Order: sequence, then structure tokens, then C-alpha cells
Amino acid sequence: MQTVANESRSSVNDIELITRVVAGDASAERELYERHVDRIYRLAFRLAGDDDLARDFTQATFIRAFEKIGSFRGDSTLSTWLHSIGVSVALNGLRRTKRLRNREAPLEEGLTVGAASSDADPDLKERLARAIDSLSDKYRTVFVMHDVEGYTHEEIGETLNIPVGTSKSHLFQARGKLRVALADFAPEWAS
Amino acid sequence: MTEKNFEDFLKKAAESYNAPPARTPREEMWSAIQAKRAAGPRVVYGGGSAVPATREKRFGTRVWIGAAAAAMLLVATGVGIGRWTAGPAAAPASGAANPVLGKPVVVMQGPDAGAVIDQPATASTNPAPSLRSPSGRQVATMSGQSNRSVTNSSNEPERLPSVAGSSSAYQLTAVQHLSEAEALLTSFRTRSTADQQMDAQLGAWARQLLSKTRLLLDSPVANDPQRRPLLEDLELVLVQIVQLSPGSTSQDRDMIEKTLQQDHVMTRLRTAIPAGAQRGS
Repeated sequence: MQTVANESRSSVNDIELITRVVAGDASAERELYERHVDRIYRLAFRLAGDDDLARDFTQATFIRAFEKIGSFRGDSTLSTWLHSIGVSVALNGLRRTKRLRNREAPLEEGLTVGAASSDADPDLKERLARAIDSLSDKYRTVFVMHDVEGYTHEEIGETLNIPVGTSKSHLFQARGKLRVALADFAPEWAS
Repeated sequence: MTEKNFEDFLKKAAESYNAPPARTPREEMWSAIQAKRAAGPRVVYGGGSAVPATREKRFGTRVWIGAAAAAMLLVATGVGIGRWTAGPAAAPASGAANPVLGKPVVVMQGPDAGAVIDQPATASTNPAPSLRSPSGRQVATMSGQSNRSVTNSSNEPERLPSVAGSSSAYQLTAVQHLSEAEALLTSFRTRSTADQQMDAQLGAWARQLLSKTRLLLDSPVANDPQRRPLLEDLELVLVQIVQLSPGSTSQDRDMIEKTLQQDHVMTRLRTAIPAGAQRGS
């Protein structure tokens, strides 16, 4: 009940905020940015695996959002709309940098980025990372958003503009591929 | 149970996948966003992200289309004005009755074939048409019969001068011809009767002027009600001079003199020649 109330209040605030941004209120722009930048940046980083790329994608997302905000019709929440832009920017950017990213991948594997869980086996982490990277964009995006970042299927569906069932299907397919890739570690989850 | 275990295992293992830093670089990214927006195209709210660039492209296309349309309109206007101004002279002319050909060439047929009279291409630069022989010397060639023809001998397209310019050229030619005729007749009246060589030279000169007189009679110059009778009388006198043989009697010469006096040819010639006009050239 409290969640519904919060969402309703958030929607009202979003509308006010958008109105101010459209009116040219610079402080409203900053407020909008502050509200959503963390999640956008985290998702961008998860998809990119690189801080520079994540920053570029985040910045491009907000620049595009500020440019397009006049066309925001309110069909979804502002957060979902921003995430739609963010995912689109990230995936398009990653396609352009895919070749470079693949070349740099071996170097990055040796680096410790962020606060990684220390529980996972280094070999498992490496195998899992490769397996996730090998997934197609649609499977990887859904997997990262749901299993890594904790988005709901509803949020994923709205963000990627796909039905909830499709989101679930993509997640099922992604998990199946990862299960095969991590078959050597089956005793760890079977126990 | 195994599936649930795998999901938990996967989620736990995947936490380290592309793990973002604990702190989001908010200020750095915000500064970069502001800088990029300041350097990039101006933000236009109400619809358009990449729209500014697209609008610029469309605007550019509009400009080019407008410029092309303006250029076409300008060319069409120029062509229209050109055709309108050159309209009366554009009709192809044949024969001497239509003097608007840019460079009409009169070809003499018969015994004097080869002599041509050509008009200047533009009356403003060299308005006086000249009568010349194939050798280039300025002469008039007499046609044996009246089988004169005027044709535009040049097959290549030529510029057509205005009627006014062409008419002015004919007037100047007529004045020049009359001056030369006056000089001939003066020489004829003052010649020595015993000089047969002089008679021969005058006869040749008269032959040239006779040819040119007949050409002028077929030209717009003869449309002048005062000039046409003069040219006709001059033609008669010149024919008489040409027909004088070296052994002609003084009676023949008196007939010519009588014609000159009766018809007041010399007076009319001098009246027709404006003061200051070049004579005898």
C-alpha cells in the first residue's frame, strides 16, 4: 500500500519535474539527473563492463533525455523511459565498440573492478563472465537486468518494449545457456 | 530444487559480473553532460533530440531546392526576355526584301559570279556593308541579267542584329554609294573626250556602281520614296556610261549629259548625300 502511494507521489513529482525541465528550469534538470543517474550508470556499467563506456553511455542517455523530454507522453514512468534510452544507447554503443572491447577483454579480466563478491571462485567468475558475454544482446540484457540488477519482468518489458512473457522467456533461455556453460560447476549448486 | 539452487548460485556468482564501482561519478558526468550540451547543437524541447541535426539537413535541402528553383526561374526569365526582344528578327529571312539577317551575303550570278556583298555581323561595330570582289578589293560587280539572288550563304547559325541596326547599315551603304556615284559622274563630265583609256576606266567603274545600284534598288533603301527615283535615274545613267564603247561618238556622251541635266541627277545626288559624309570612297 505504501509502495503504491510512493509510486503515485513519484509520478506526480515526475510530471512536475518534467514540466519544469521543459520550461527551461536548469535546477529541474539537475534534480532529474540526481534522481536517476545511479541506476542508469549501474546498468550501463553492467552492460559495458568499462567505466569510461559506462560514463559515456550515461551522459549520452541524459543528453538525449533532455533533448527528447518534450516528447515524453507519460505512457510509462520517467524511470522506465530513461532506462529505455539508456539501454538503447548502451547496446548501440557496445555494438560499435564490440571489436575493441573483445580485444581488451583479456586485459580487463586481470583487473579488479568495483566491489566484486569475494565468494565466487576466480575460475567460476571468469567462466561466468565469458558465458554471459557470449549471450546475445537480448538474453544478456534481460539476464543482467533481472538476475544481476534486480529489475522485475514488468520493468524489463517496459524498458525493452517487449511483453513480460518474452522477458521471462529470454531469461529462461539465458539461464539455460549459462547452465550449459557452467556444467563443470554443477556440483556446487547441486549440493 | 536443483533449478532453484542453480538460480541462487547464478545470481550470487553473477554479482561480480561487470560490477560497477560503489560510488557513481555524478559530478564528473554532470559536468561532462553540461559541456557536451553547450558544445553540441542547441537543445530544443518539445520534440527533438537528434532533431536539430535533422532539421539542419532539411533546412539545407530546402535551401538547395530553393536555390535551384531560383536559378531555373532566372534562366527561364533570361531566355524569355531574349526571345521577346529578338522575336521580330528571329524569323528566317530569304531574299533581299528581308534585311534582318545577321550577315547576309549577296551572291552575284551570271558573268559576275563570285562577287559578294556582305553585311557586318553587328551594325554597331561596323555598320557599313561593303561590296567586294573575291580578291578583297572593294568593287561592284555587274550582273549580266537580272538574275540576282540574295542568300545567306553561311550555313552556320548566325546572330541576327536588330532591324534598326541593319537599316542603319543600309542607309550608310546608300550614302557611300551615292557619294561614289557623284564622284564618277563628276569625273565623267570633266573627262577629256579624246582619252579612250579614261573612258575604259570610267566604264569599268560605272559597271561596278551599276551593280551596286541594282542591289540597292532591291534593298530597303529603295523603300524611300525620294531615294528610289534617284537610284533608278542613276541606274539609267550608269547603263549609258557602261554601254559607251571606246569608239562612241560625242552624241552618245551628249545624251548622257542631257539625262544628267534633265533629271537633275547631280543635284539630287548632292542633296541626298548628307554634309560631312565620306565621298568617293
